[in-house]
Amino acid sequence: MPHMLWMPWNSICPEKKDNPDMDILAFLSKLLYGGLGNLAAYLAAHVLLCLLPAFYIAGAMTALIPKETVTRFLGRNTPRFISYPAAALAGSVLAVCSCTIVPLFAGIYKKGAGLGPAITFLFFAPAANILALVYTGGVIGADLAFARLFLSLAFGIGIGLIMALIFRKDDAAHDKATDEIFAGQSRKGMPRAALAFLLILVALLLSGTLKVGLLTDTYTQFTLPVSGMDRFQDFLYNLVPYDASRGEEGVTAQGAILIGLLALIGLASWKGLEKIHEKFTAWTWIAMGLVGLTLLVASLGMSPHAGGLDILFTGKFFGVMLALLALTLLAWKGLSRDELRDWLWESWHFIKQIFPLLVVGVFAVGVIRVLIKPEWIETLAGQNSLLGNLAGVVFGVFMYFPTLVEVPIAQMFLSLGMHRGPLLAYLMADPELSLQSILITATIIGRLKAWVYVGWVALFSTLAGLIYGAWVDGASLGLVVLYLCLFLAILALVLWLVNRRNAAITAPAQ
Amino acid sequence: MLTIKILGSGCANCKRVEQIAQKVVTDLATEAEIIKVTDYNEIMKYNILSTPGLVINEKVVSAGRVPSEAEITTFLTNALV
Repeated sequence: MPHMLWMPWNSICPEKKDNPDMDILAFLSKLLYGGLGNLAAYLAAHVLLCLLPAFYIAGAMTALIPKETVTRFLGRNTPRFISYPAAALAGSVLAVCSCTIVPLFAGIYKKGAGLGPAITFLFFAPAANILALVYTGGVIGADLAFARLFLSLAFGIGIGLIMALIFRKDDAAHDKATDEIFAGQSRKGMPRAALAFLLILVALLLSGTLKVGLLTDTYTQFTLPVSGMDRFQDFLYNLVPYDASRGEEGVTAQGAILIGLLALIGLASWKGLEKIHEKFTAWTWIAMGLVGLTLLVASLGMSPHAGGLDILFTGKFFGVMLALLALTLLAWKGLSRDELRDWLWESWHFIKQIFPLLVVGVFAVGVIRVLIKPEWIETLAGQNSLLGNLAGVVFGVFMYFPTLVEVPIAQMFLSLGMHRGPLLAYLMADPELSLQSILITATIIGRLKAWVYVGWVALFSTLAGLIYGAWVDGASLGLVVLYLCLFLAILALVLWLVNRRNAAITAPAQ
Repeated sequence: MLTIKILGSGCANCKRVEQIAQKVVTDLATEAEIIKVTDYNEIMKYNILSTPGLVINEKVVSAGRVPSEAEITTFLTNALV
């Protein structure tokens, strides 16, 4: 389908056919506006309260959770019902983008974890890590985030089991490698302060993003006597024109302030966090202060009018403030300097790595949105059909988008009329399968195994889309769960039968 | 003479560790050979689960994180004694 994105010029601006130069110029500026508008609206509306804390949570997970605590359950002496869920859990807390997953996957696999848990890890991590889930939930909806979580979990484990079964001979040979590294790992858990720190970070995220009355209600408000804010906002709406019926959003005055603050955070972080391994400087603290300030501003309600600017203190604001205070206290008293440094560095590292990709990606989505006609999407994937779901998966496999950019792309498809079923199929397939990750995986586990894995992921993603789509279309929850259980039961039965036959064949030979 | 190995496939954190190690070596005015190990099979011989790994005289001193300048200074001075 990618080639369909590039349609002839004149089908977009048919009324200007007589002057080709003007035609192209107007067309290009339309594309540029589409991209910039989308970017500005995104930064202002979505990024802050969900993505900013999520980056710091991901950083905290990488820095503060000892990897041994999770991976020691992956050895091959661990029973399956522990090792597979543990592999999924490890995926979601330890890795955020494929660049982290692949080395960890190589480590786990080469150190003697079975192929199965290693595959579960590889599957689950990109689809259901904290950043991806939070971002999906914030941008597209909590229902899709949960569907992504549960279906990835079920299918990640399923694919792991299947792979372990198909390649059981290889795996047995591989198992001869010791798993001492898993058995020998220390049993010490996570320090309590670090755990509390992580939990409060999650609370910060939730209080900023949950849409419940307690948090969204306004408790008190006052009016700042600044004039001109309303004209500023009108100016912004003119600058970034938007069409709410197409799912586009404008930039508010508050959004503009937040974008400014974001730029300041970037600057201060560059100065303060880039060289954090040498020492903490004043810039480090300025960067942290700015992050806190930005979150507080983002959680306020602002409504400009002719007389001034109304500032609304929402429940969100108080929640965010409490969480920030607790975090400051804990960071000061509970965490060691090394832990604090690791946390800040890892978070900054993620931001540096992912944020620019996100900016470029969101811009590109804005451009593409101008080019795609809703009818195409509706014809292809407007219904929850097998074809629609397959289309979602194929698009996910052949288009490579950097980490997390799949989410704005998915939102675009949604606003252009894609059904939520195929949308989930796409969201499941895209982070798992890109040509790049397939090739790297192939060097670690071999080409045959890698392509078999790809086949299964494609199949399971299509199924996930169909099942979820059926639920969205109104099939009762019980029926959907029944289908899912039935499918898993058949899968388990087949696995068990093959396993038994296999045992019967190999037993006399020994 | 110290042998310092940086284990990692060239990720940003690995480069960071290398930079810091290089700086510490210069600051301590000691002689050291810094080797980058990028081959996975080679890296896995050191029993670490996650990169970047820092190995001083064949002993793993840190893995999975970027140690600070002060920490690496301590590692190196300990190894020199």
